[in-house]
Amino acid sequence: MMFVRNDCKIFRFCKSKCHKNFKKKRNPRKVRWTKAFRKSAGKELTVDNSLEFEKRRNVPVKYQRELWNKTVIAMKKVEEIKRKRQARFIMNRLKKGKQLEKEEDIIEVKKNIHLIRAPHAGKAKQLEDKMVQKLQEDVDMGEES
Amino acid sequence: MALYNFKKIMVVPTAKDFIDLTLSKTQRKTPTVIHKHYQIHRIRHFYMRKVKYTQQNYHDRLTQILADFPKLDDIHPFYADLMNVLYDKDHYKLALGQINIAKNLIDNVAKDYVRLMKYGDSLYRCKQLKRAALGRMCTIIKRQKQSLEYLEQVRQHLSRLPSIDPNTRTLILCGYPNVGKSSFINKVTRADVEVQPYAFTTKSLFVGHMDYKYLRWQVVDTPGILDHPLEERNTIEMQAITALAHLRAAVLYIMDVSEQCGHSLEEQMELFKNIRPLFANKPLIIVANKCDVKRIEELSEENQASFLFILYQGKLFKDFEEEGISVIETSTLTEEGVMKVKTEACDKLLSYRVETKMKGRKVNDVLNRLHLAVPSKRDNKERPPFIPEGALLRRKAMEVDIPKRKLERDIELELGDDYVLDLQKYWDLMNENEKYDKIPEIWEGHNISDYIDPDIMKKLEELEQEEDLREKAGEYESDTESEDEEMQEIRELARKIRQKKKLRILESKEKDVHGPRMPRTVKKVEKKTLEKEMSGLGIDMEDKSNSHYAVQARRSRSVTRKRKREASEAPASRTRSSSRPPRDVSGVRDAKMLKKVKQMMKNSQRDMNRMGKKGEADRHVFDLKPKHLLAGKRKSGTTDRR
Repeated sequence: MMFVRNDCKIFRFCKSKCHKNFKKKRNPRKVRWTKAFRKSAGKELTVDNSLEFEKRRNVPVKYQRELWNKTVIAMKKVEEIKRKRQARFIMNRLKKGKQLEKEEDIIEVKKNIHLIRAPHAGKAKQLEDKMVQKLQEDVDMGEES
Repeated sequence: MALYNFKKIMVVPTAKDFIDLTLSKTQRKTPTVIHKHYQIHRIRHFYMRKVKYTQQNYHDRLTQILADFPKLDDIHPFYADLMNVLYDKDHYKLALGQINIAKNLIDNVAKDYVRLMKYGDSLYRCKQLKRAALGRMCTIIKRQKQSLEYLEQVRQHLSRLPSIDPNTRTLILCGYPNVGKSSFINKVTRADVEVQPYAFTTKSLFVGHMDYKYLRWQVVDTPGILDHPLEERNTIEMQAITALAHLRAAVLYIMDVSEQCGHSLEEQMELFKNIRPLFANKPLIIVANKCDVKRIEELSEENQASFLFILYQGKLFKDFEEEGISVIETSTLTEEGVMKVKTEACDKLLSYRVETKMKGRKVNDVLNRLHLAVPSKRDNKERPPFIPEGALLRRKAMEVDIPKRKLERDIELELGDDYVLDLQKYWDLMNENEKYDKIPEIWEGHNISDYIDPDIMKKLEELEQEEDLREKAGEYESDTESEDEEMQEIRELARKIRQKKKLRILESKEKDVHGPRMPRTVKKVEKKTLEKEMSGLGIDMEDKSNSHYAVQARRSRSVTRKRKREASEAPASRTRSSSRPPRDVSGVRDAKMLKKVKQMMKNSQRDMNRMGKKGEADRHVFDLKPKHLLAGKRKSGTTDRR
């Protein structure tokens, strides 16, 4: 859909969700799922060479077949590179999370290990083994002496 | 000056209308309610007011009429004379005089009757006095019927007079009827005067305006003048004469050389000689009209001679400073000479006016204040006017009729049905053969035209280089660092712990707790669950003989064997023991008492049970017939529900 305001500014919407939010006068920079929010909050790649390829130019260029052909090819390559870079950007952002996860796991284990493992599980046997071993040693010692 | 206010004269009502108007106004605007029993001064005042009001109205209206109509002595003599010619000065003055008298009479009447009203002693008397006063005033006006009618007609005609300014530059056209005066004015100005083949088509003065040398000029068209003495002239001709007499203007005497007007050349010249005195002190031009029919050269000899005679006569007159009257040939049909006449007449008049002004005394005051500044050359450089080439070319193109280029419309007409509108053939591209290409627009949601850039290949190369560098720097390698085994173990444990926690929470939510919250020690723990739990935690449960609960069980067994013999003692602990008597037989001595007790119980319960009550605490009173549902009329709502 398209909405034209009285000051001749044109707004285009891809779906009714966006349109309805606009009509409610919500600021897209504060609505979390919008691209505007993501870019302003630094959640997505904003400044990059690959993004400079697709922009609105005010100087018209006369049609030339070979230029158009080259553009189509170049466009596809640029798109690929752009995607890679965007993905990398987001991944980098999420690395910190992984770090935090690790630390949390360690704390969790330290605190609550008693829920799955009794502290002296298997220790009885160990003790016994130790005692047996000690006895054996004493016996050996006694024998020797 | 009252000159141009002829259009603003108030409408003069007819006598009947005037009376009706004033009386109804009196009726409306003065109080109407009066009774016999009012106090006499109030009654008198009431009626006096009516009389005075009527008098006031008449007075105002008549004064206005008298003020609006122009006084013949106050206005420009041209207009005074014109009005005399049209409306007869005497009649006009008489009518206005009558109105004046009427006004005075009305005032007197009102005065008298107001004085009389002071002695009126009853409502009836005062009313009659008022009636008489009003009646007399109205009769006076009725008598002025003729004057009022006449003045109304004068007013209407006055408002339609052409607005001629007597002081500005003017050209007057005069001559016999049908010579071409009106055609001339039509040609020179924007006026639209009627031109017809019969004489006296123009019956009054007409004004037209034209521009020359950035000034506004008036051109006055007059009705034709016939050749007879002044006394015998009719109203129409007199208008022309008046104009000639009073307006200080250039005179264009128009003659018809071809004699199509119905009068011969001699007659026209006779007229000219007779009117000559009127042309004194006025620049004069003789216009020989209708020269497309006959030219002066074609005239016979004698006629030519008389013409020249006139020209020579001009020289003998010492009033004229010019070299003689100019004779110009024109034709209003072919427009030949019209411009020449115009320019000459205007020039002559201008120079005449300037000279008169110079002779006067006012000029000297102005001359001292005037100074004409002329730009002086600062160097010898030539500075001709500059016209750009494009303008010259365009002017040339306008003059010469260049064949226009072939239009689409022409092609359309040629091809008829085969015609296809193909705008792409006009495109101005680098390669001509690419005009009919199909251009792709969208790819995967992106506009291709957003990517178009002459330098795109260069930029793409740079980008790819950058990308290579980054890849080499290892940016894109996946980050699954080989975590050491310890870390993995910890992860696994953490996962299990979280799961266990969730399970416990679920269990505790599933618990069905109805009773009071008892401490953990009250609850009995099953041996099986304990064993299972502990083995789940990793403790070795095979050797059970040494465990605490087994030891306790052995100990309690031995104690209970002894304890069985002493059965009568009630246990000190609160746990339930089988030797406690039930409540309904505790404290009852024997069976007879037991029976009686039971009977008493049943008696007390009988009433309650009959009522179907739960117990003695069930004292609830049910509202089986609520008022709000069963009382009241059946208002809006269905009737099948109560």
